[in-house]
Amino acid sequence: MNAIAYPTHVHTGALQIGGLNKAYRIEGRDLPVLQNIHLDVRPGEFVSIVGASGCGKSTLLRLIVGLEAEYEGDILLDGKRIAATSLERGIVFQDHRLFPWMTVSQNIALALKNHTLPQAEKDRQVVEHIALVNLSGFEHAYPHQLSGGMAQRAAIARALINKPKVLLLDEPLGALDALTRVHLQRELQRIWVQQRCTVIMVTHDIEEALYLGDRVIVMDAHPGRIKHEIRVDLPHPRDRASPVLQGYKEQLLEELVGH
Amino acid sequence: MLSLLKNARGLLLPLLLVLAWEYASRQDAAGAYAFVPLSAIGTALLEMLGNGELLVNLLASLARTSSGLVLGILFGVTLGVLMALSSVANRLIGPLFHSIRQVPMLGWIPLIAMWFGNGEFSKVLIVTLAAFYPMVLNTYQGFSHVERRYREVGQVLALTPLQQFTQVLLPAALPSIATGVLHALAFAWVTAIGSELFLSSGAGLGNLMMNAEAGSRMEVIVLSVLCIGLLGYLMTLLFTRLSRHLLRWRNLR
Amino acid sequence: MRLLRLLSWLISPLALLATWALVAHLGIFPRNLLVPPAQVLQTFEELLASGELLDHLGNSLSRLGLGFGIGSLCGLAFGVLMATSKSVEVYCGPLFHTLRQIPSIALIPMFVLLFGIDETFKIIIVAKTAFFPVALAAGEGVRGIPRSYFEVADVYRLRWPAFVRLVALPAAAPPIITGFRISLTRAWVVLVATELLAADSGLGQMIEMARQMLRIDVVMVGVVVTGVIGFALDYGFRRLEQHLFRWQTR
Repeated sequence: MNAIAYPTHVHTGALQIGGLNKAYRIEGRDLPVLQNIHLDVRPGEFVSIVGASGCGKSTLLRLIVGLEAEYEGDILLDGKRIAATSLERGIVFQDHRLFPWMTVSQNIALALKNHTLPQAEKDRQVVEHIALVNLSGFEHAYPHQLSGGMAQRAAIARALINKPKVLLLDEPLGALDALTRVHLQRELQRIWVQQRCTVIMVTHDIEEALYLGDRVIVMDAHPGRIKHEIRVDLPHPRDRASPVLQGYKEQLLEELVGH
Repeated sequence: MLSLLKNARGLLLPLLLVLAWEYASRQDAAGAYAFVPLSAIGTALLEMLGNGELLVNLLASLARTSSGLVLGILFGVTLGVLMALSSVANRLIGPLFHSIRQVPMLGWIPLIAMWFGNGEFSKVLIVTLAAFYPMVLNTYQGFSHVERRYREVGQVLALTPLQQFTQVLLPAALPSIATGVLHALAFAWVTAIGSELFLSSGAGLGNLMMNAEAGSRMEVIVLSVLCIGLLGYLMTLLFTRLSRHLLRWRNLR
Repeated sequence: MRLLRLLSWLISPLALLATWALVAHLGIFPRNLLVPPAQVLQTFEELLASGELLDHLGNSLSRLGLGFGIGSLCGLAFGVLMATSKSVEVYCGPLFHTLRQIPSIALIPMFVLLFGIDETFKIIIVAKTAFFPVALAAGEGVRGIPRSYFEVADVYRLRWPAFVRLVALPAAAPPIITGFRISLTRAWVVLVATELLAADSGLGQMIEMARQMLRIDVVMVGVVVTGVIGFALDYGFRRLEQHLFRWQTR
């Protein structure tokens, strides 16, 4: 039975990762992707992860969401070990992955398929979440009729409608042009401030990581491990041009590039 | 006026051929035998429409084609899905399927005629087989190539296996299946006519032609051939329009 | 382990063969409906030894060769013409596409009345079948030659014959060869079907005679040989395609 009760409010989940090791087996040899990852995420915290390509950032997210199930170590959500996908954990991919054969509403409504909720209530939630991401009016549009930014917003609505304990964002704005990216970063900030679920976001963009995150984690590659951590003690919503942020940015660049 | 003339240029050659035909029919008795005059064709047309002969045979061919097509699609999709979703089934049934596929459809007619007689059952069976093959192939293709990233979304949304099938796999495979139906339609139509030519009992355009050949009635044959071409074209057109509507979510530039 | 995997592919054909042999042995069906595979094999050897099979096969294949040769070469010429000359396209196009819709099988009665049932009519039907796929493919192949190739040839001042030989032909060749392959396999099927209906020699006629004499073993031999030849023709062409077009990025 996959049907679960609909959360009455946004539960925020506490994520504990301890001693996480992951390796892929290629041609008989083990290729280590993640090495000894320790991460404690408090409920309602926004954690950004930055790092060069190949540092296993995406693999880490896939392990947390449950798409990959084999790993050494612990990944615990509110104390329970993660072994498969669940509606308690949502993810937004870099390619929006909306189903082309469904309209925006249908795509978002699909996320509620296995929630025990009366249909009228489900419809209301769909309308609410479409409004949340500023897509009202596009309920019956097909994905190919949407711009990249709009499609990604629909994907965010689809992930949020489940009121997941943890929301994972895998380079959500990476496929968009610079202007759309800035606009959507502001949108993400606004939405998150409203929802306040636990978020883990992977990104290439340092400014984005600092703008949105309470903590920024720097990862190193080959194999992937955590190198450095910065705490961003600024209130939300933030000002992109703030000197404190700029200072952090220089610090991060140092960490990432100069070594 | 000018654009109308421009479009009409394509009709020039056919018109010339028709005139040549008429000319040949007036040459001598042998000409009239082979190339029946247009007037005879016209007369025959009116006659056959009047006594319903054309319609009866036409509908019989269409009925055979549709029943065979529906059965072929049903069995074909089922087998295609099975082979795509179950590697065991694929390994067991696949080789047999592919080796039997090598025998051309029309080659089965004599065998089936021997085993099941000359009647309706044989004909519909042959048409079913003709529709079956492309359906299996295209369905298999469609289901085994559903992009992994969509299947992952289904996993993340905790869809049950049945939901995964109906909401993700089936719609994703539908374009391939539609292509399969298009091919199956063409094969079914040709095979229906072929089976009627070969097992000439009962009604059908093929039977009409065989009888006309025996009676040297070229005008009936000409009409039948035109019907066959026209109906084949119309069915394909109809189906293409239908699939374009059903699959309007596709981003085709 | 690998070997086991390879062998597992043979399970179903072998299972079918075994079931066939068993059912025939048990005599569930009358002899004229189902003969054991062993007998089919024996009949095959007999037909081969007496030369009868090769005779029929030779007739069929020579008809195929002639009809296919004529039809495909005409198709090639016409297809190239349609693609390169606007006026040909305009005047002949609609008729071409209309005639293409008419299945070859449906033309058998008409051609029998027009040409009688000797060799001419069979060759013409085969030629008709071979003509259209090749013409279509040739048209597409030529139309598919990128504009940029012509421009590069221009820049390098390539003369026309050299251009055709070195650039146009290799560029247009892949779809054209595929068109030849499809046309050949289709022509083979149509030929055998034609022989089933109206012939005095050839593989199809052998099958039909056997059917009327209720010799199902001969019918089976005929059907299997038809399938094998069809497969061989298709396979041969595919190998040709692979060999000629190694340079293609697929």
